[in-house]
Formats: sequence, C-alpha cells, structure tokens
Amino acid sequence: MSNLTRRNFTKLASASLGVLGAPLFAPAVIGQAKPKLVVIGGGPAGATVARYVQKDAAGAVDVTLVEPHSSFVTCFFSNLHVGGFRDLNSITHLYDNVRATGIRIRHEMATVLDREKREVELIGRDRLPYDRLVVAPGIDIKFDSVPGYSERAAQVMPHAWKAGEQTELLTRKLNALEDGATVVMIAPPNPYRCPPGPYERVSMFAHVLKAKGHKKSRIIVLDPKPTFSKQALFLEGWEKHYPGMIEWQDPKVHGGIKSVDPSTGEVKTDLANYKADLANVIPAQMAGKIARDTGLVDQSGWCPIDPETMKSKMDPNIFVVGDACIPGDMPKSAFSANSQAKIAAMIIRGELTGSRVFPARYSNTCWSLIETDDDVKVGGTYEPGEGKIKQITTFVSQKGEPAHLRSQNYKESVDWYASITTDMFG
Amino acid sequence: MGRARCCQAMSVWGPHRKEPRLRGARVAVLALLLTVASADAAPDIELGRYLAQECVTCHRGATSASTIPNIHGMAESDFIQMIKAYREKRIDNAVMQNIAGRLKDDEIEALAAYFFMTRP
Repeated sequence: MSNLTRRNFTKLASASLGVLGAPLFAPAVIGQAKPKLVVIGGGPAGATVARYVQKDAAGAVDVTLVEPHSSFVTCFFSNLHVGGFRDLNSITHLYDNVRATGIRIRHEMATVLDREKREVELIGRDRLPYDRLVVAPGIDIKFDSVPGYSERAAQVMPHAWKAGEQTELLTRKLNALEDGATVVMIAPPNPYRCPPGPYERVSMFAHVLKAKGHKKSRIIVLDPKPTFSKQALFLEGWEKHYPGMIEWQDPKVHGGIKSVDPSTGEVKTDLANYKADLANVIPAQMAGKIARDTGLVDQSGWCPIDPETMKSKMDPNIFVVGDACIPGDMPKSAFSANSQAKIAAMIIRGELTGSRVFPARYSNTCWSLIETDDDVKVGGTYEPGEGKIKQITTFVSQKGEPAHLRSQNYKESVDWYASITTDMFG
Repeated sequence: MGRARCCQAMSVWGPHRKEPRLRGARVAVLALLLTVASADAAPDIELGRYLAQECVTCHRGATSASTIPNIHGMAESDFIQMIKAYREKRIDNAVMQNIAGRLKDDEIEALAAYFFMTRP
C-alpha cells in the first residue's frame, strides 16, 4: 500500500467511511425525532438485530431491546455443560456490552402489542412506540403434547430445552444416578429448536455415565420421528464410544408415546413401560407467547416470514427472526438466528435511513459433540427461493473420518462459540 | 493488475506495424483507458461489509490460539488467494469450502478490501 494510486485512493475513501460506520444516506432533518426500533427478545436473534442496527446506523436509529432476563444462558453449548465440558458461567452472557453501545434495554416482559398504534406495552404498563419492531421470543414448550407432562412436571422430568435452571436441574439429576440407572429421553417431533441437539445430549448423558464407571446403566431414546439429524454419525459414534448403552427407538419400534407420570417416573409406550431414574422429556414446541398472542403465528404455531427480508407475513412493520419464525430449509439454530437477524437489520436500516440493501443470503453450521474430541458438523448456505428460505448447498461430516478431523471440529466449535457470542452480546 | 491488462492489450496490437508516433499515441490512450477502467472496477466496500457479516460469525473472536484465524487486516492478495483455494477445494475445511463456493470473484475482492481495512 505504498503507492497511492487512483484505485487505492478510491478504496481508501470509501473504506474509511465503512470502517467509521457512517451510513451512506442523506442525514435526518435536524429536529426530527429519530426513527425507533424496538426488539422483543434478547437472545441470539434479538440481540444480534439490536447490535447490528445500532452499530451500522451509527446512532441514526433509536434502538430499544426488551428482554426480561438480566443475563442470557445460551441453549447452544448447554449440552456441553450437561456433559461436564463447560461450566454454566462460561455459557452465560450479560447485557453490559449491549447497553454500552447506546442500546436502551428494558428488563421487563413485553405483554401487549398494538399493531395499529405501533406500540409495545411492557408488564409495568409502559408503552414503547416503534417504527419497526422485531419479535424474537424464541420457543415455548407445548407441555400437553406429551400426555401427563406439564410445566410442574418439568421440575421432576426436565426438558432443559430452554437453558438456565432447567439445564442445572438436568445436570444435577444426571450426576446423582447410580450404576444400573434407566435414563429415558423423549425426543421432540419436527420442527424444533436445534435438530441434532437431543442426540448430542444423549451423547453427553453417556459420556458422564461412562466417566463415572457405569457398566449397567442404559439410555433409551423414544423418538416420534423416523429419522434425525446426523443420524448415521451419531449411531456410529454411539456404537464406537458407548457400545450397548444407548437404544434409539423410532415410532415403528415403540408404537407411540402414551404417557409419562412424573410422580412415579413411568414412561409408557405402545411397546413397553419404563421406570425412568431420569426422564428427559422434550415436547413439541411453538413460537414464544408474544408472537402467538399478537397474531404473528399461523396454524403451525410458528411465524411465517418473507424470505427476502425476514418481515412477518402478517405485518410489514414487524420482523420475526430466530427460532420463532418459519425458516424454510434452515434449521432452528443460534447460527441461523444470527444469520437471519443480520438480514433483518439490513432491511430495517434501509427502510429507516435509506442505507443500501443487498439480496439476502443466509448460512448455518451446527456442531455436535459425541465424545471427547469426536465432534461432527452439518451446514449449508441458503437464499430466498420458491417462497421460502431455500437450501442452496449443504455439507456434513462423514462416517469413519480420521480422528484428527473430529478433534479439529471440536476446537472449531469452541472458537465459533467465542466468536458468535461476541457478535451477539459484545 | 493494470500492467497485466496493458500487456494483454499490447499482444492484441502485436502483429500490426504502425508509425512509431502513432503507436506511442495509441499506447498512451490505451493506458489512460485502462487506468480509468481499473479505477471504476475498485472493490465495492459496502458490498464487502455486507458479505463480511457472515464471516465475522466465526472470525470475530480470533486469538493466537484459535483454529479459526484472524482475518482482519489481512493482505488483500493473501485473502483472495485463500478464498479461491477454498472455493476450488484445494484446502480442506467443509465450512469454508461451502462459504467460499458461492462467492463470485468481485465479491471475494470486495471482502478482501473490506477486511484489509478492519481491525479485530
């Protein structure tokens, strides 16, 4: 870069604008209030949208983040806590760095959405006006999708599909098991948060029990699905690392999950009844409450979106990103949430400030740990197509890969976690 | 780059003999046109910034101990060569091959120019 040619000068000039974050649009009229963005949900999707709009609009948009919790435990990597690979602090994120960028944070629940007036009402009755709204409430558990299960039952048979207390409860119960224990997992039906997640969790159960020297304990997976993500890889890994410990049953084998009884630990299927020393029930899921209460979901219980913009199909001023949306071919994952959030942020800035927009592109990678240093991955690229977010390319780990590749995958996932959580929470 | 284009253009002229002063004049005009053309083809930094959103998902938090390298401040030519090598599957990494596989040449140049200008 020693010669300042015309080419380099042009690059420098436009690059310095980019580096400083100055948007390339006409400035707002002096005295006019800034356009307002309200983001409901401070998880992977919501925090990313808030941060990216705040960063790239360089103060031209008033950003408020509504998140009831004052810290966020990531559901992604929570399986590694169950497995003893990460302590809970290392997957807990505060909002200090989010606040430090100038984003207003309200640690309250959003309760009412007035789409006509464009106002969000908080539990304390404050009303936040918005020009654009992002709804990123994540998932809610459909407790009654498993007969006998309930929110109360989750204190005895945890789902741990929302991280935090449930993760700790599950981990404590796992570590308290004696040899000869029966662990039963009820896996969720599609669509659900984190497709390979239940099977990584089963791997973590097995890892812990094996490390404790258990010889007789067994893990039974009752699946309402005939197949699951990275199935061949998990089955191979389970046979290699935990032979005889894990039994996965598809619907043809178990004939249907009949009920659970939290008072006795019984799990009943058409095939057999089990007395579980630990039951991990992961029920069907739906979009978070605020989305359901405000007409943003369809019959599926999830929010339909325009794949070019992440706008709700129900309201052009509202964007739905992350697990709550219908993501087409993308999985419900933190990586997807972050990817979708960045597109929404770009469109929001374009509409509120006149900044440049580009055609939407998305991507995802999911890593799953089967045993120490044996990690498998799957991923893809996506673009709008056929009315949805459509998969363009995909890749997946292969059976029988050399150990060094699997070990590399694990290190890569650890580095990815550090990077993406910085991207989300600062 | 401009020099290579100039030489290619010269070979097109190659077999035709011109009066020396006219040949010199044509070369001067050609050089001017090429300079203008290469300035107009400067990488789109804004495009680079948009595409980089995907990259920082993994590359934001790089440390010296990371398996995922720090690409901020990377020399453009190194960046371009690396991404093209992933695109052509000459370097192994399924994630990078997948990402690079959908990048066109102008997008790679935009990314290279953007990341050269940034700091972690």
